[in-house]
Amino acid sequence: MSTSKSNVHAHKAEIFCKDESRVDWHSKALWMLREKRDRAAGSLPEWEQLRQIGSEMKLHTLTHLTEYLEEFEKNCTANNIKVHWAKDGAEHNKIVHQILAKHQVKKVVKSKSMLTEECHMNPYLEDRGIEVIDTDLGERIIQLAKMPPSHIVVPAIHMKKEEVGDLFHEKLGTDAGASDPLYLTRAARRHLREQFLSADAAMTGVNMAVADKGAVVVCTNEGNADMGANLPKLQLHSMGIDKVVPDLDSAAVLLRTLARNATGQPITTYSSFYRGPQQGGEMHVIIVDNGRTEMLKDKILAESLKCIRCGGCLNTCPVYRRSGGYSYNYTIPGPIGIAVGAQNDDTNSIPWACTLCGSCSYVCPTKVPLDKIIHHHRRLKSEAGKLPYGKSSYMPLVGKFMASETALNCSMGIARTALKILPGSVLKPFSGAWGKYRELPVAPNSSFEAWFKKNRG
Amino acid sequence: MSSKQDIFNALKSAAITPQAMPCIDIAPRIDDLVGQFEASLNTVAGTLHRDGGLSALQTTVDEHIAKGMQIISMVDGIIGNREVSDTAHELKDIDYAVIPGDLGIAENGAIWVNNKSLGHRVTPFICENLLLVIEAKSIVANMHQAAKLMTLAPGEFGTYIAGPSKTADIEQALVVGAHGACSLNVYLT
Repeated sequence: MSTSKSNVHAHKAEIFCKDESRVDWHSKALWMLREKRDRAAGSLPEWEQLRQIGSEMKLHTLTHLTEYLEEFEKNCTANNIKVHWAKDGAEHNKIVHQILAKHQVKKVVKSKSMLTEECHMNPYLEDRGIEVIDTDLGERIIQLAKMPPSHIVVPAIHMKKEEVGDLFHEKLGTDAGASDPLYLTRAARRHLREQFLSADAAMTGVNMAVADKGAVVVCTNEGNADMGANLPKLQLHSMGIDKVVPDLDSAAVLLRTLARNATGQPITTYSSFYRGPQQGGEMHVIIVDNGRTEMLKDKILAESLKCIRCGGCLNTCPVYRRSGGYSYNYTIPGPIGIAVGAQNDDTNSIPWACTLCGSCSYVCPTKVPLDKIIHHHRRLKSEAGKLPYGKSSYMPLVGKFMASETALNCSMGIARTALKILPGSVLKPFSGAWGKYRELPVAPNSSFEAWFKKNRG
Repeated sequence: MSSKQDIFNALKSAAITPQAMPCIDIAPRIDDLVGQFEASLNTVAGTLHRDGGLSALQTTVDEHIAKGMQIISMVDGIIGNREVSDTAHELKDIDYAVIPGDLGIAENGAIWVNNKSLGHRVTPFICENLLLVIEAKSIVANMHQAAKLMTLAPGEFGTYIAGPSKTADIEQALVVGAHGACSLNVYLT
């Protein structure tokens, strides 16, 4: 199969894989994060206990969402926070626009929110004359480059410093050819300070919503959420229904694992709790469903809502590291992206962008059974008659073939003989994509069954 | 029907059986809290000043003032050269902010700061450099203990600050000083 305009994962990955040295570099950068994560996790004796509590606590809240969301809204209202509800991305965008329009907002500073990406909010607001400035450095880089994020925690991980240097030279007027990260970051600091100081409103995502306090928690390393939200008088926070936690102690459990699992830091630099607007200001929280209740209807898919978006599963995934974030047809790439996005994937190929190695489930701080969920997606696609191109023609035959002992034994015998007597060049075409980067196996003398009968039977 | 009602109706068809809330009971590591805190603070690029307390801090502040720096102090007994402004935006040229922290957390070097002692909420973020003051006896072992002691009354804002602002968004190279303070020094009293 050659590189084509197809959106199938393998085709898009092929584009990324054209530059082999970049693939190695990408893989290594992410593996570094995985190693830092391992060191941070290993330094806490209670790490596994925290994962277990995190998992159970998220399952508890997910199975009591009505009560906790009700409690959260009630306490927010008592704290002078305005709460809105949105069924989907379109309604979310409409609510945000109405609030901004009412205050005649021209410029909004936004700090990283995968939910607003999921809702495609930026273009919606820009079409209505509102300037949206992404303020996380990585997000700003890709916004200037007019690209979507390629990772949920380090969105510009796919770009080299020389490319960022060229981009900043063009957009921010930095020196031509300058690529020093310190120099570039300082230039971005100056540029973004101007944005913070001139914005009419701020918008952030929500890491946790504390039900019994009516407060939202926002975590950043750069302080962009807080520079944003604490300067203009109007602050908006978008959250999925899955972000609610019962109380401060349960938020503490997740705060202990979130950064350690994302980047290996003991905690993010700023973990801020907003329990009401600043003096004379206004604070809004928009609670969004956008497919989450639908996922809750499936016992296995429901567990993907335990995710706290640390990105640990992306960093460890051998497929993500070697295919890049843009091959997944969804805002969220990697294992968690497959878990929450596969249902909307028109190519039906995304659940196969996985080796089922299980590394993602092993590192997940809330024990989301990612490999199990991805496997389940394959079943769902198959049951819906939506196997991806190619697989739909031969997979049913493979199923029938594997189910028949005679057919299997007979053809394996032929294969063993063929491997022994025919040259590789004749056989290779039969192995398809599998054989592209692999040597054909050495044929054993007999089948395992025959060996077993002879030696152990 | 309201969207809230729609969402709640949809939640009725959720498939997983209700789970109980787990007990959060994790033994804190209570040996040498100050030493643990100092080590954690170092890993998040902050510096602890154990000795000298407020007088050492005032000496530092005076030195900065002599160099023409703009310093705002929210700590009783420490005198800077700037007052709390009418609007938060006016703080944009502050070089150093001196702020009291309520709690220090040994496991991660974070310090809980409540807006009651900030003047404007943006103070610890908009300043170029941050000087935090905490009492040695306010250092607790972990986040679970902090969760029980942190103050966050209705309408308030509070934040755990662990080191200066930082980013590693350009080729994973750690750069200290993104949008918030470029350095953090913590003074123990």
